[in-house]
Amino acid sequence: MSDSEHHFEAKADAGASKTYPQQAGTIRKNGHIVIKNRPCKVVEVSTSKTGKHGHAKCHFVAIDIFNGKKLEDIVPSSHNCDVPEVTRTEYQLIDISEDGFVSLLTANGDTKDDLRLPTDEALVSQLKDGFAEGKDLMVTVLSAMGEEQISAIKTL
Amino acid sequence: MGKHLCCTEKGINLEQHLQCVVLGIIPWINPPSSIVSAIKSGKSESELLVACRILSSAANLASPALFDSILKPSGSIWTLLSSLITEVILASTEPRDEEETWTDEALEILLDVWSHILQPTDLSKRVPLPQYGVDAAAEIFRTFVHTELKAASASAEEDEDESEQVQAAIAARDERLGAISLIARASSRESISLLASLLSERCSFICQLKEGNSCPPSILEELHWLLIMSGNVIADPGEGETPMVPDAILTQFPASMDVTSHPVVLLSCSAIMLAQNSRDPFFQREILSPRLMEAIVWFFARWTDTYLLSSNVGHGPYSTPSGAESNHQLSILPESGKNPVVFAFSEHGDGISALKCLVQLGGTALTLWPGEKALLELTCFKLFAALSRRRNVCSHLVANEAWQHFAKAFAYLEQTLLLLPSSIQRGLAEVLCRSANGFSSADDANQFLKDLLSPLTMKIVEISQMKELSAAAQKPDAILMVTNLVERLRGAARATMPRTQKVMFEIGVAVMEPLLVFLECYRNQSFVVYVLLKFIVDWVDGQVAFLEAKETAIVFSFSVRLLQTYSAHNVGKISVSMSRTLQNETQAEKYKDLRSLLQLLTNLSSKDLIDFAAEDSSEAENPDVAQVIYLGLHIIIPLITVDLLKYPKLCRQYFTLLAHMLEVYPEKIARLSKESFGQVMGALHFGLRHQDIEVVNMSLTALNAIAFYHYQAMCKAQEGLGQHALEYYDNDGIRHEGVLAQFLRSLLQHLLFDNYSNELVEPAGDALLPLILCNTSLYERLALELLEGQHNPVLQSRLAAAFHTLITGNKVTSSLDRANRRRFRENLHNFLAEVRGFLCMR
Repeated sequence: MSDSEHHFEAKADAGASKTYPQQAGTIRKNGHIVIKNRPCKVVEVSTSKTGKHGHAKCHFVAIDIFNGKKLEDIVPSSHNCDVPEVTRTEYQLIDISEDGFVSLLTANGDTKDDLRLPTDEALVSQLKDGFAEGKDLMVTVLSAMGEEQISAIKTL
Repeated sequence: MGKHLCCTEKGINLEQHLQCVVLGIIPWINPPSSIVSAIKSGKSESELLVACRILSSAANLASPALFDSILKPSGSIWTLLSSLITEVILASTEPRDEEETWTDEALEILLDVWSHILQPTDLSKRVPLPQYGVDAAAEIFRTFVHTELKAASASAEEDEDESEQVQAAIAARDERLGAISLIARASSRESISLLASLLSERCSFICQLKEGNSCPPSILEELHWLLIMSGNVIADPGEGETPMVPDAILTQFPASMDVTSHPVVLLSCSAIMLAQNSRDPFFQREILSPRLMEAIVWFFARWTDTYLLSSNVGHGPYSTPSGAESNHQLSILPESGKNPVVFAFSEHGDGISALKCLVQLGGTALTLWPGEKALLELTCFKLFAALSRRRNVCSHLVANEAWQHFAKAFAYLEQTLLLLPSSIQRGLAEVLCRSANGFSSADDANQFLKDLLSPLTMKIVEISQMKELSAAAQKPDAILMVTNLVERLRGAARATMPRTQKVMFEIGVAVMEPLLVFLECYRNQSFVVYVLLKFIVDWVDGQVAFLEAKETAIVFSFSVRLLQTYSAHNVGKISVSMSRTLQNETQAEKYKDLRSLLQLLTNLSSKDLIDFAAEDSSEAENPDVAQVIYLGLHIIIPLITVDLLKYPKLCRQYFTLLAHMLEVYPEKIARLSKESFGQVMGALHFGLRHQDIEVVNMSLTALNAIAFYHYQAMCKAQEGLGQHALEYYDNDGIRHEGVLAQFLRSLLQHLLFDNYSNELVEPAGDALLPLILCNTSLYERLALELLEGQHNPVLQSRLAAAFHTLITGNKVTSSLDRANRRRFRENLHNFLAEVRGFLCMR
């Protein structure tokens, strides 16, 4: 009997975040999907058919994970959709600049300075206070299809 | 109506009264055709509906014998009912406005009438339906079938929106068909023959279609309807029990009837022919539709429990009240095994080939059309579940080549199966593992399980040990694979049986390290985390009753590591998102995770280790349940934010566990660190003020438990809660009361001044007594404080007296025995009644 044809690719491609084809019928609520070239999280899936004896189509309602916009798509269940590779990486917060950027320490000791503070004011002040008190703060950065954004903050 | 009113006469009994009433409303429904056409011409339908409701009530209250005699000798209630229902059904087919639902309502009520007669609540009152009643039923069903079939045919081209809750929608549909199914069964000979011939016509038609001919969707829809209706008529739903052949069907056909002419058998054979054809490539391509396949699968899921390889032997159809009737029936039924309908698909009949056909049907349904979720669910959770439910069927299942082939494909991670949705992975694993019940030897069963699950286990281990796992693992296909593999494990865990428990234990142990690696690696993929937690919870649940001391220790230590890992990633984490919806989703995910973690602790706490005997007498080897649970709580509590406690289920689950731990292991709580202890007390304070009465109740119970424990200890000059109960001074020199003192103050305050449900006074009393006994001087001080605030001298003395009576009146002593507690509770009721009135007024 054949072994699974899947094997994890041992080396990650540097740089480019990819999308992967996956059958529409297997994408469930809270999974991810690409709609209009935007990475989204599915908040609702329903099926419908053209004529009772047709084949199922999946109706996805999804939210863009970066800008929060609602997007929809209808795809036959047996067709493939694109699923974005969504990663979350933790970095230690080193500095908060005056102009609203954060400075993060990467795994290999460099700094990453291209990310803005989140827009939630309460959160930002909590962040600034915690940082001023000298607390260790970890920042989770959400990354997909070449875009990045801070998605969580954690006190160590 | 006036001339029939005889109810004013004295001495009338219920039966006579009912007869009067029914006779009174007859003009409102008779003759049916003119009544119905009057309504169609604009007359109000209210009289008709009222009359129908009265009939329904009468049918419910009257004995069937009485009901039968109501219109005699001049007429028959059955004929009337039959023509009325027929008219209503026919009227419902005519085009009408959205608003007009009187036909639906009337039909529902009238079908109820039949249900009351055919299935009276008191089964001993059931009488066989007279022939004219059977005829009436047959007439109704015939009209219903023709009408519905026509409607189905016409609706075939309509678009369909499927609900996400496939199984719920199906259950609702079947309930609606319940009443009409009873009527069909009451007239089995005609009605089932009708279904059989309609089905057979259409099956033959489509099975003979050749290349170049297409099949109109109308025929497919008619077939769909016929299969659903037939399944409802000839069989009852099977979950939770093994349904017998419906009584009406057994009794209305002679037991000596030829198998090949029995309508139920004919009907079944047509359906089997359809199932067999579903393997044919042309049929699959040109004729079959997902919806038709769903109907076929659903039909056989229903049919299997009753007709496939039935092991029904011995007693007759009635299992409840005896009486002349059932004895009569028993005498005309030889051993049920020889009944044609039971024999037809038994082991000695065509049962085994039918089983083979169904296994292949399931295989086709799973693989033919990717993405047809409803069909996959029906196949997995209904059909295969039914096939793996009974032991005797399982024994044939595991001997069946197709099933073995399926098991091998599943075991070796064959691609098509591996890509099915995750819930299906779980379901398939469960049915496959359950089918192992079919092996008579435990060794064979265990070997089957090992063969089924080893490659899966090894794959999980292999993936977890990959270098550079983190990078590769985040790709969607990798996530899908890991998720599906773990879901399979979960299905297997849920099918754990006593004799296969050890194998599952070993598998669980083998994947412990890999799962912790995944928990770490996938810490930011919430669905994977959720699936991991759910597996572990289910696995522990299936194992916990069987574990020996050493094994328990392994499970405990793993659980603690799991909790620590989860906590490390999540405690104090605040999510940020541009979208409110996504924020809410994240919160919901946390909630589900915490429910699982609490469930894990609850499952672990059911492990009672008191009877681990002297074999392993060293303390170190005997795992300490309480310690593990408290440790677990210590880890989880910081994760349970106030926001999350707003979810009622989570809140209750949490407080149930907490109350249980404090009641059963109060001595352990004394040994907790200051921080942990503080957390638990914080939770109690929160619970005491909660708006959910259950939660407050549990908190009071917990409080009672620790106060009780401490008081008992004090009486024996032991430590009790030790440090925690003492007052202390913090770094700033501020004095803090001991914990029980705090609770006394807070509880008294609450009882005197806050609003709460009366139900809580008793449990509050139970907690208050030991609190007072532990802190008598505080009690006196609190009473004094309140007295000082009371300026009215009359009220002041009343208050003082009340405080005094609370703890001394009614012969209350300082004991915590039952009788004393009862007396104290009475005192508390009186106390509150006395003082709340004037204390709460300002």
